[in-house]
Amino acid sequence: MSLPAIYSFPPLYTRQPNAIIRNKQIDSWINILLQYSKIEKIWELDSNGIFLPNEINLFENNTINRSVNNTFIKEILDRMKSDHQIIYNNNNETNTFFILWKNLDSWASLILEWFETTNKLNQVVTFYEISSGDESINWEFHSMPSYLISKILQILVKRGRATILKDEYNKDIAIKVV
Amino acid sequence: MGQKGSKIKITEQDKAVLQLKQSKDSIHKYTRRTSSLIDEERQQLKSLIKENPKTYKQNTKVRFILKRIHYQEHLLDQASDQLVNLENMLSNIEFKLVEKQFFQGLQNGNVILTKLNKEFKNIDDIMDDVQEQIAYQSEIDETLAQHVSGVNNYEDEIDKELDVMELEIEGKKETNVIEQIPEMPSIDKLPELKDATKKEGTLHEPQREKGRQEPALLA
Repeated sequence: MSLPAIYSFPPLYTRQPNAIIRNKQIDSWINILLQYSKIEKIWELDSNGIFLPNEINLFENNTINRSVNNTFIKEILDRMKSDHQIIYNNNNETNTFFILWKNLDSWASLILEWFETTNKLNQVVTFYEISSGDESINWEFHSMPSYLISKILQILVKRGRATILKDEYNKDIAIKVV
Repeated sequence: MGQKGSKIKITEQDKAVLQLKQSKDSIHKYTRRTSSLIDEERQQLKSLIKENPKTYKQNTKVRFILKRIHYQEHLLDQASDQLVNLENMLSNIEFKLVEKQFFQGLQNGNVILTKLNKEFKNIDDIMDDVQEQIAYQSEIDETLAQHVSGVNNYEDEIDKELDVMELEIEGKKETNVIEQIPEMPSIDKLPELKDATKKEGTLHEPQREKGRQEPALLA
């Protein structure tokens, strides 16, 4: 995918001393990260801002021979954390984040829309069907990690629209939306 | 969470469907993995053929890979069939559930209908009762009316007796007196209202005749 022109602009990679300019700089970075993850359908990144699972590092630009140092990456990620654009993946031991180019509520609404348009209300639907089933291929949440899906579906449960079903190991695996 | 979960019921069918879907999902996963594996091996095979365009047929690795591909394809076919079976089963269950709802609807409707009909039976009893009550009421009315008329007759009788006594005293005939009494007020006091007077006259007449007959019976 083609990244925005600013991605090839060397000063973007150096932490700007002026707070106002730095804010804009961070905005640009967040914009790049969200755009990229949305188009490439990337759901996770590690604490150094490297996209998983293919270890794509946007903070290192070999064409212009520039990279962002770790402290500034931390600053950018902290901003994203406080704006809920990334959330901790507390499913595993490793320190990774889910990247949300849509906030959790919008995702929940979109999944609900899928349930309604594909007539899946009042039926048991597994998380696998939502993320990898043939019926969700053309939806934005297709290929979403199942742990993130279960996190989003909790919102539907809180809204009183759904209930979660567990497997024999007490793991959330399916949902029934009404 | 328990509270929220209890709002929406998970039935036994849901659990059965979940198990089916779990196996369906794992077969789905398997087919995806296998087809990507087949693709990879095809690529591998092509590159091997490109590397030795002349001797590849003798290459055991090439033959082995091709056999593997065939075997994987065979498994994939089987898995797809199983997937279709599971999907059929799921849609059958779904349809059966709909049918069950339909059946339940019919049953409920029937129960309500019979209930309503029963209520109508009660209403029949009530109607009979009401009919009886009405009959009884009209009986009472009749009896009361008779009683009242009886009283009137009694009064009339007393009048007659008094008249007779008066006649005996004055020496006049009772028929003259009775015919004079009704005619006098109707002509003198209300000359214009002829209809009304006629009606009154007709109303009074039977009583008068009765009155005339009564003494005859007594005598």
